Amino acid sequence: MTLSGLSIKNIGHNWLRTILTVVGTAIAILSFVLIRTTLSAWEAGVDNAAQDRLSTIHRVTFVMPLPKRYFDEFNGARGRIPGVKASTFMNWVGHKHPTRETEFFATMAVDSGTYFDVYPEMSVPPDQLANWKENRQGAIIGEALANQFGWKVGDDVTLTGTIYPGDWKYKIEGVYEATKKSVDRAQFLTHWDYLNDSLPEGRRDMIGWVASTVDDASRAADISAAIDAKFDDQDIQTRTMSEKAMTMEFLGGASAILSALDIVSLVILGIMMLILGNTIAMGVRERTHEYGVLLALGFRPKHIATFILGEGLFIGLLGGALGLLISYPIVEQGLGRWLEENMGAYFPYFSIPTSVSALALGMAVALAGLAALVPAYSASKLDVITALRRIG
Amino acid sequence: MSEEATSAETSKASAKASDTTTAKRSPIIVCRKIVRSFWRAKERLDVLDELDLEIAEGSFEALMGPSGSGKTTLLNLIAGLDRPTSGTLTVAGTEVSAMGDAALARWRSQTIGFVFQHFNLIPVLTALENVELPLLLTSLGSSERKKRAQIALRVVGLEDRMHHRPQQLSGGQEQRVGIARAIVHDPKIIVADEPTGELDRKSADEVLHLLERLNKEFDKTILMVTHDPAAAERATVLRKLDKGKLL
Repeated sequence: MTLSGLSIKNIGHNWLRTILTVVGTAIAILSFVLIRTTLSAWEAGVDNAAQDRLSTIHRVTFVMPLPKRYFDEFNGARGRIPGVKASTFMNWVGHKHPTRETEFFATMAVDSGTYFDVYPEMSVPPDQLANWKENRQGAIIGEALANQFGWKVGDDVTLTGTIYPGDWKYKIEGVYEATKKSVDRAQFLTHWDYLNDSLPEGRRDMIGWVASTVDDASRAADISAAIDAKFDDQDIQTRTMSEKAMTMEFLGGASAILSALDIVSLVILGIMMLILGNTIAMGVRERTHEYGVLLALGFRPKHIATFILGEGLFIGLLGGALGLLISYPIVEQGLGRWLEENMGAYFPYFSIPTSVSALALGMAVALAGLAALVPAYSASKLDVITALRRIG
Repeated sequence: MSEEATSAETSKASAKASDTTTAKRSPIIVCRKIVRSFWRAKERLDVLDELDLEIAEGSFEALMGPSGSGKTTLLNLIAGLDRPTSGTLTVAGTEVSAMGDAALARWRSQTIGFVFQHFNLIPVLTALENVELPLLLTSLGSSERKKRAQIALRVVGLEDRMHHRPQQLSGGQEQRVGIARAIVHDPKIIVADEPTGELDRKSADEVLHLLERLNKEFDKTILMVTHDPAAAERATVLRKLDKGKLL
């Protein structure tokens, strides 16, 4: 037996209470991991955004469109911007499933000739891509969306328009797979030409934004400035930014919710610390007489404080480890797989980041240690005779 | 009343007899004008009142007296758990009344072995681990600590119970484990506060026999507080304390 062994053995004084505390800590860690993984999955698009891709939008907001002719300045029809490798354009269409309206997915009308040159991380079988290019009413969808609605190649699909009202009929010509984490696996891609030709005269020839890849990612800022300079003297000015900045702007509306979730995860840890503190304090109170015996035998107050701190840290470690152990099957395998299949637009990749696991375990141990500080300090101030007189 | 008088006479006679037998040995415990006072509200209460006492090395002394007479207070002072309000107290050549907390704790861990009335074993530890406890404060290695704890348990006749927890032992066995814990670090002095108070007659006899052996065979100085006349008779010296003074 060692001093640290004695500290750990102390958790056996009241097994029921220890087990309940460890389980309580584990559940708090599970909740923390779930929330943090949700935040991480939500922000995955930002974190994994391509470094060499730029987005050019209306200077005021991405909601306002740009004239289609602007794209000609990118693709060589009317000019070329030094450093830009390839460009494409698209419109946010905002279609919905006619009967499952609450299940969001991104619907975009894209330039079929250039889109997949700029987004090579979306892999479409060549025959399916060729068929899609041939069919103006064709659509290519992400694998997660196909799973979510049970759609497959050859299916006829009718979606309900919101930004562009009416019923929109498409035929699924292909399913893309994502080869990078930055890709939303639940997009519904249609032909921009089909959309444009279906619109009244006054709404035609407008595009949502231009996406461009650049030769050298380190020159992205200079190239962005060059793009915007090109349209400075036009009636509509542009704002060019990295894909990451664009994604962050797009998610900006959700920042309040994300911040609230962030706070909730910390509150959960706070509650966990109070539970641990209470358990440790109860144990210390019950064992006052025992500490008196140890002091009489020659143990010093610092030993008593160390025993209590060690006990707290060990309970925190047990709770944290158990929390992580149950988090992986519940969060990553169970809930995570379900979210990826059914809410792929929001959570394309729902897995627990290593940093979250490490943080959860670290916080469990650190907060348990913090919770044990006050009882440890109190116990270290015990008078040996008073402690020996205390019963229970 | 007559019983008390008889007891007091026995005490004095025993003390004299003991003084004769231990006259050649120097005192290991020396109390000079020891006062220990407590404050209750604004009233000062002298639990020990200018007490003088000498206990010879190697003696087995019993201390009796009514409740509140100051027996446990005196025991606590001698064991280094408390300090006198005034007076000097020298135990095993060290003036404990002048020591700081840390030094006193270290001194206690080397010089004193405790036997408690309620055994006070740690319930989550086995008998062996309970006995090993005082050795955790030494620089001994793990195997040496274990070996010494096993020897101590052999001395008290509980080698076959070393892996049992306190709740798996009888009261008498628990107290014998308590005694093994008190001797494992080879202290000069063993202080026992009502060591038979929780035991039946048979178990009490076994514990007292063990204390006698420790005194005779291992030359331990034993100071035992007791209310039990039968226990007190086993000591070589019997002292009575009343109202903070030795009778």
